[in-house]
Amino acid sequence: MSSLSASKLQKTNELAVSIKNVGLTYTTAIDRRPTLKARVKALGRGGKQTRVVRALDDINLDIEYGQVLGVIGTNGAGKSSLMRCVAGILPPTQGRIEVYGSVSTLLALGVGFNPSMSGRDNVFLGGLAAGMSREEIEGHFDEIADFSELGEAIDAPMRTYSSGMYARLAFSVAATVRPDILIIDEALSTGDAKFKEKSLNRVKELRSDQRALILVSHAMQTLRETCNDVAWLHKGQLIQRGEPNQVIDAYQEFLHLGKSAAIDEDV
Amino acid sequence: MSTPLQVYEPFRAGLPKLGKYWKSLWSRRTFISEYSKSELREQHFDSVFGQMWLVLNPLLLSGVYFILIVIIGGTTDSARYVHLTASLFLFYLVANSLTGGVKSITAGQRLILNTAFPRIMLPISAVVIAIFKFIPTLIVFLVIKAIMGSQFSIEMLWAIPILMITLFLALGLSITISCINVYFRDIASFLPYLTRTLLYLSPILYEASALNPNLKALEIVNPLFPILDSWSRALVHGEVPQTSSMLQGLAWATGIFFIGTYFFLSREREFAVRL
Repeated sequence: MSSLSASKLQKTNELAVSIKNVGLTYTTAIDRRPTLKARVKALGRGGKQTRVVRALDDINLDIEYGQVLGVIGTNGAGKSSLMRCVAGILPPTQGRIEVYGSVSTLLALGVGFNPSMSGRDNVFLGGLAAGMSREEIEGHFDEIADFSELGEAIDAPMRTYSSGMYARLAFSVAATVRPDILIIDEALSTGDAKFKEKSLNRVKELRSDQRALILVSHAMQTLRETCNDVAWLHKGQLIQRGEPNQVIDAYQEFLHLGKSAAIDEDV
Repeated sequence: MSTPLQVYEPFRAGLPKLGKYWKSLWSRRTFISEYSKSELREQHFDSVFGQMWLVLNPLLLSGVYFILIVIIGGTTDSARYVHLTASLFLFYLVANSLTGGVKSITAGQRLILNTAFPRIMLPISAVVIAIFKFIPTLIVFLVIKAIMGSQFSIEMLWAIPILMITLFLALGLSITISCINVYFRDIASFLPYLTRTLLYLSPILYEASALNPNLKALEIVNPLFPILDSWSRALVHGEVPQTSSMLQGLAWATGIFFIGTYFFLSREREFAVRL
């Protein structure tokens, strides 16, 4: 299996994304739904309404064109936060991120933001919000609809979609719009076996010298097969980065050891 | 590629670079129109019956309030009915902007968490939707006015600048309330009471001139008061509205727009973590 992993792609030494000393801290409300009522009721008590979350801590990561970077880590490791920083959705609270090219701004997952609208409307609105023109989306639309295999369901409201259909549409959008830097956040491990196979093949097709691919996934086997570089995040810190098999092996070993591992103090 | 296309750095409190923000907003203007269209389509306002409902709804409302006026006030003056419909329709333009705007950010959660775009597009879209709902009611009003035998005159054109001021105010209110709702999610539940209060405080069920002098304070604290008064003067009575009223309305609209937009822009970068 490892013979497949080191893909023929070479790093081009052309920088796609440069992440320097990036930290992300944010305050979030303790209540899931912050309300005026709760705030007023808590007035006398003077209790804290917010808590500070340290999502990313001094991350340094350069991503070059031609690189297929897998990002791994347990839930809450900061993977999605880091991706959102690269996509410009969350400004970092520390450090600097430079992006040399167009990023698919996780477009895929923005699709379906309005469940009462049809899949078609959602694809268009997601694309327009991401800054694409109507013509650009129209140009890609047939391919998206084809790839998703949704058929006539594309014109049905998205609330009628199953989670598999949802994921298929999201992945199709991500894989069809071809940005310089493509981020696919856990969209790979969804859908039925057939679609999984199809999407995996598409990701392999998308690998090229002119593109940087970032895959956030828990599907280790997929990452071993597709990536030429893997970064492991844990509790907002970059633990290890390098050859996929090495990093994934270390990560899996860590998972089996459980949280008792002294790895937190190591870095 | 030696220079980065995008640089993301920590932001200080305060506004983003306005020129860049505006450029990015302008390049996405099709989103606003498409979003409004899809939203209206989803609410079936693209069909004949949907359009009819759009007209029927305010018409029934004005009918109900007219019955109220007849019973309480005892007047059956047709001018009162024309005044009521004109004012009520304009009021609903503002009220719809508020109800559409309040949840625009929280409902756009998925999009906000996954796409970088100027968040202010969402409350702006809410106002555009309210405008689309307002247009047919304006036509209905003109028909009612003709049927009631009310005079059409050149002074009615004063309604145009008044409508502009109203839209400016609606935009400011929509932006402000969408931002507040991120921090206090129950504002959306309070909103019906707020709009209802605003309705009674505004010269809709009564005419501004009929207001008890003791209640003059209403005129000062209600941004809609001078606007609705001018609107009725121009559209219903064919008079030139008072300059002071229009300026007062404009001052309110400007104030709310700039304060609300300042809050929105300085806060919007943390919306993603607040949702």
